[in-house]
Amino acid sequence: MDDYVTGVLTNIGLFSFLALSAYLLLIAGEMSFGQQAFFGVGAYSGGILTAIYGLPLPVAALVAMLLGSLCAFLVGLPTLRLRGLYFAMATLAAAEMARILFELFRFQRQIGGELVGPDGTQGFRGIRWVFERGVEPAGYLALVWGLLLIALVVFLLMERSRLGATLRAIGEDPDLARSCGISVERFKLGVAAAAGALAALGGVLFAHHNTYIEPRNFDIMLGVHSLAYALIGGLGTAFGPLLGVMVDLGVLEGSRVFQGYRMIAFGGLVAILLIFRPRGLLDEKVVHWLRARFS
Amino acid sequence: MLVDLIQNTLDGLTAGAAYALLAIGFTLIFGVLRRINLSYGPAIMLGCYAATWFHVQFQVGLLVLAALTLAATVLAGAYVERLCFAPHRDRSAIAAMVASFAIWMQLEELATLVLPNHLYAFPALYEGGPLSLGPFTLRAEALVMFAVTVLACLALQRLLYRSRFGLSVRAVIDQPVAARLVGINLPWVFVRVFAVASALGAVAGYLIVASAGQVTPMLGMWSTLKGMLAMMLGGLGSLPGAIVGGLALGLIEAHSQWFFGPQVRDLTAYFLLFALLALRPSGLWTTPRHG
Amino acid sequence: MSALLEVKDVVTAYGKIEALKGVSLEVQQGSITCLLGPNGAGKTTLMMSTAGILRPRSGSIQFAGAEIAGAAPHAIVARGIALVPENRLVFPGMTVTENLRAGAYQRADKAEIEAHIERMFARFAPLKARATQLGGTLSGGEQQMLSVARALMSRPRLLLMDEPSLGLAPLIVDEIFRIIAELNKDGTTIFLVEQNAHMALKVANHFYLIEQGKVTFSGDPGSLAEDEVIRRAYLGSARA
Repeated sequence: MDDYVTGVLTNIGLFSFLALSAYLLLIAGEMSFGQQAFFGVGAYSGGILTAIYGLPLPVAALVAMLLGSLCAFLVGLPTLRLRGLYFAMATLAAAEMARILFELFRFQRQIGGELVGPDGTQGFRGIRWVFERGVEPAGYLALVWGLLLIALVVFLLMERSRLGATLRAIGEDPDLARSCGISVERFKLGVAAAAGALAALGGVLFAHHNTYIEPRNFDIMLGVHSLAYALIGGLGTAFGPLLGVMVDLGVLEGSRVFQGYRMIAFGGLVAILLIFRPRGLLDEKVVHWLRARFS
Repeated sequence: MLVDLIQNTLDGLTAGAAYALLAIGFTLIFGVLRRINLSYGPAIMLGCYAATWFHVQFQVGLLVLAALTLAATVLAGAYVERLCFAPHRDRSAIAAMVASFAIWMQLEELATLVLPNHLYAFPALYEGGPLSLGPFTLRAEALVMFAVTVLACLALQRLLYRSRFGLSVRAVIDQPVAARLVGINLPWVFVRVFAVASALGAVAGYLIVASAGQVTPMLGMWSTLKGMLAMMLGGLGSLPGAIVGGLALGLIEAHSQWFFGPQVRDLTAYFLLFALLALRPSGLWTTPRHG
Repeated sequence: MSALLEVKDVVTAYGKIEALKGVSLEVQQGSITCLLGPNGAGKTTLMMSTAGILRPRSGSIQFAGAEIAGAAPHAIVARGIALVPENRLVFPGMTVTENLRAGAYQRADKAEIEAHIERMFARFAPLKARATQLGGTLSGGEQQMLSVARALMSRPRLLLMDEPSLGLAPLIVDEIFRIIAELNKDGTTIFLVEQNAHMALKVANHFYLIEQGKVTFSGDPGSLAEDEVIRRAYLGSARA
């Protein structure tokens, strides 16, 4: 495998966490335009912990996930009772606030003769924990995909459980779910916190893959992309978001066939797809059919 | 200090006038279709780009430029309506919104394919320096912006309250089911509302790039965000609210920029939006809806 | 008399749930025909399907000989059907006069519309005093009158009325039914959905009972004892 292919595959893995995060909220009936903020929180906090405090990556990742879910919880607290577009707008506002806070965030320390740490709009250089330990690109790829696999397995188990059924019930008809005795608000808060942790994990991995992050990485474009990934791939299964990321990063960008007008192709594709399959390629019907066939 | 405060207020109202125009277009679409059109700003940007392209090729005059901006924006708006909103009419608002985002990507790349530089000069409305009124300065463009915004609002008011089309628009905003029951052809209203909203957006876009003297692809995202923000501040779907929201946004931005700098300016605007949504989701100036 | 409206085997569904399971009925030209039945029997669904707001899954709806099932609401209004919807649905943010003007949306005869509005004010006196008030500020009875007047502004040949007495005080209900009888005398065919079987049977020429998405009885007001009709209209025969 050459480095280019490895890079593309790693990126697919990284952004799948973010897409899964958006997907989790979508099946609970909420459209968040702000998951990129928690991706950013993960990237910044993970980077600071390894690059400045010298903590090992797994510890940093755990702390970052906790922080991501805490932030998501705090944003969800006043906003999750809002409906539909209002929630979408509130999360968008929260995420843009986070991005501007990243721009204002300066926290640099002398490490080994150079300044390391977030430097406002100049970004955050030198997140080299993985690089310094001599991890090959292929090794990192395996790490990212290993973690993604774990996340997917958890998702699949969750979706077959009572928890998954509850989640979809809330997504389809919150009022009905409420009348069945489900505490919808509490449930959604839990979902938001979990989605925040997922996004943060993606962010940590993203920061250590690139070694350099800047506030611009976490703008609204990233958030809407993650939503689009989940919607193209389909809301029927956790493989949906992954498929969505593959279509964009793998086929359109990775193949380099559409170089220079990838967005024209991607944009048109998404718009046309949504007309014919408004809940994505792998929607509930297709997944149901596949399950009936193969199990 | 007082002079600065007043000067900031003037600047804020100028910016606010442009925001108000953007918000009115946004609100028309939201009020009638109950959908968020993320491609609203990018369509305006494409309109301005089309005009810029003509200017680069043929050196056309100001009026021709304005007409071109208008025509191209309305055309781009029609494309967005056909692809993102017409097919999702009776279906998911989320799908329509994501589709409008997808088309945003398209329009933005299209613009940069046609004119690849990051920045293009756009003929200014007025070549002279700012006018001074005692200790205050006011750019001539600001006066034009104000005048045009007021005129556009009056024209819209007339259209909404004095025409059959206006009656149908208000009926659809007020009570969509009843609007269908009295025989209003909804799809046709949607198409025309899109055209009017795009035209208003084009006016705003033209004035904005002409006062800035330049156009960049960022105009798309900028217009969508400002328009949406002003609409939310004024209360979703209320047209007078959109005007108040636009002016309020301009004022908030001007004052917080003067006190805290540009980053905090944006932060304040988003914080306000967030707080408003969390505390008062129906907006600041909305009247409670009946029925 | 001939059938102005002919509904045949209409099935309308919300997702997987069929609210109408093959409904057939007729409304004779010049009649007041009434549809009675318990809540959830499909009365409003039939009204919405006839007006084009809901699209029947199968079956046929013929109006004056033309097929209208699945047509757009504005096309159905153009043919001469107007619906006074359940819960009235006046335009809350528009004045009473504007509400009436909206009712005449498809008409082009401007001068005649204004004269028609004046005639409406003469017929529905309480509305005249409220002409410049917003629809949302009217009382329930006034909103009901406005909703009826608005529907009449399109000069319909067939007026569909969905529970016009719902939530109104007895005195106002009497007034509404007086208006219904009067409209019918002036030549408008009326198809009425009601919960108030007692009042409905007084004005109707013919009635149908609908239960769980199916017509279960059809006859003239005298053909079934009133208490039996009322019992079935409220409770349905299955639960009796």
